Amino acid sequence: MFKAWHEGFAMVDKKTIRNIRDGYLFLSPYLILVIIFLIYPIFSGLWISLHEWAILGSNKPFIGLNNYRQLFSDEVFWKSLFNTFYFVLLSTPLLVILGLLFAVMLNKEIKGRTFFRAAIFMPYLLSISVVGMLWLWLLQPRHGLVSYYLEKLPFFPQINWLGDPKYAMPSIVITTVWWTIGFNMVLFLAGLQDISKELIDASKIDGTNAFQEFWYITLPLLRRVTLFVVIMQIIRSFQIFGQVYIMTGGGPYGATRVLVQYIYENGFKYWKMGYASAMAYVLLLIIMFFTLIQLKIGEKEN
Amino acid sequence: MLKKTPLTRYLLVFLLTVVAALWIVPLFWMLSTSLKNETDTTNIPLQWIPPKITFENYEYILFKSLLIRWLLNSFIISSTVVCFDLFINSMAAFSLSRLKFPGRDIIFSIILATLMVPQQVTIVPLYLMVNKMGLVGTYPAIIIPRVAMALGVFMLRQFFLQIPKEYEEAAEIEGAGRFLIYWRIMMPLTIPALSALAIFAFLGAWNDFMWPLIVANTPEMFTLPVGLANFSGTYQFEYAKSMSAALIASLPVILVFLFFQRQFIQGVAMTGLKG
Repeated sequence: MFKAWHEGFAMVDKKTIRNIRDGYLFLSPYLILVIIFLIYPIFSGLWISLHEWAILGSNKPFIGLNNYRQLFSDEVFWKSLFNTFYFVLLSTPLLVILGLLFAVMLNKEIKGRTFFRAAIFMPYLLSISVVGMLWLWLLQPRHGLVSYYLEKLPFFPQINWLGDPKYAMPSIVITTVWWTIGFNMVLFLAGLQDISKELIDASKIDGTNAFQEFWYITLPLLRRVTLFVVIMQIIRSFQIFGQVYIMTGGGPYGATRVLVQYIYENGFKYWKMGYASAMAYVLLLIIMFFTLIQLKIGEKEN
Repeated sequence: MLKKTPLTRYLLVFLLTVVAALWIVPLFWMLSTSLKNETDTTNIPLQWIPPKITFENYEYILFKSLLIRWLLNSFIISSTVVCFDLFINSMAAFSLSRLKFPGRDIIFSIILATLMVPQQVTIVPLYLMVNKMGLVGTYPAIIIPRVAMALGVFMLRQFFLQIPKEYEEAAEIEGAGRFLIYWRIMMPLTIPALSALAIFAFLGAWNDFMWPLIVANTPEMFTLPVGLANFSGTYQFEYAKSMSAALIASLPVILVFLFFQRQFIQGVAMTGLKG
């Protein structure tokens, strides 16, 4: 890359200069936007997190790591962190395993495949508010579609899905699975299409059954895609916000208050910008941890 | 394997039908509820077909709420984001893949690193910045962070890298300038990737929730998701109204999806896996 510099300016010919000029010319519109609206805010957020930063007050004292220290003793923060982990733990396996299962089922040549795929994928296109409003209605006690039919089952208890702290988070998980499973399914389908048909056919001659074929051939070949989907799902699940904001507002009794929501509340309800930023950085660390795992695995695979 | 045992095949189709039903029934229920009188929504036993079909909810949503305005806002914002993304990202990707200049690889690594950063990290500083610029509650404020994203550049760069060098060289011999090479050779060859990016960028902006929730501060400026969330807060227990609003809001995207299903799914797979 720096070859031109090393070989001295005598070697820098017209073409190199044109390359430099054009390179930066083409890059500059994007680069300027990214520096101002992405890279600068990333560092500025860290700076803000070291201050007591109220939006209205002109006085923004530097308080070092006090915001972070305060996080340690903030029970609501721990509770929201716990709720977030709980959501990640419940939602990730479901979204990955069901996504894979649906994809494997849809990879077979059967009638109506396009229809099935479209049906499962469609909710992914709906905006979070639509999904939230719809499931708010479906999960309504007594009159909601879900509650109505479940209560008809023998021995099924009457559940106040969103109103009971025990069931509120599982309800959010169910909603999320319905909403986003299509995305993972499509990723798995793309991965499945890359597996050569010959390999599968060869295994059939050897007389494997469908389960063996899946377990010993498809799954190992899908390892890269699966790892990718798992990590991406974990990262997305950690950022959960909209479902909770619309369906429960964090309740009942804070049972569904998640980290991003607490960031939102601190930043834009109580206007404690420094404190909100500190929390956002905790989220960044969590997400970076999983991204680095992914990069490490990716390196090993290559 | 499946040909030998039709039973497995029937079982598969049966399972898929159940799953598809579970995924579609909520949407059907949304439609059914939206056509009911408010009083009929809570009838027991449940009625799948409205006993008396009415369009009064739609009338209310279309003429007495701001939903159409929100649709328009979302459309303006999402389209602008797509235009910006397609031009600016492809130019950057072209520069990062086809031109050699000092600093290129460092810049690319930095752009790549920003992929790790969740949106929530920049939200506070961005708000303070937009606030200082006096842009809170305007289209530019809602659009800005969405045009400074790394995924599009990353994906397009991968595509540009796959295009053989001969194309450019031939054009260069003919005397074509850089811009012509970018516009006439690279862009047409990347149309599948560009349409994938367009779909991805549009959906991302269309469904974005947290940022517009923060910066769109008047009902007139709400985007569709923010407006609906607000609506839901007010009409939470008026199910017929809620469901007609939800349905009208979803219709444009669903219709486009039904027409361009393959492109949508390929686009999602492409952007999803590359990112």
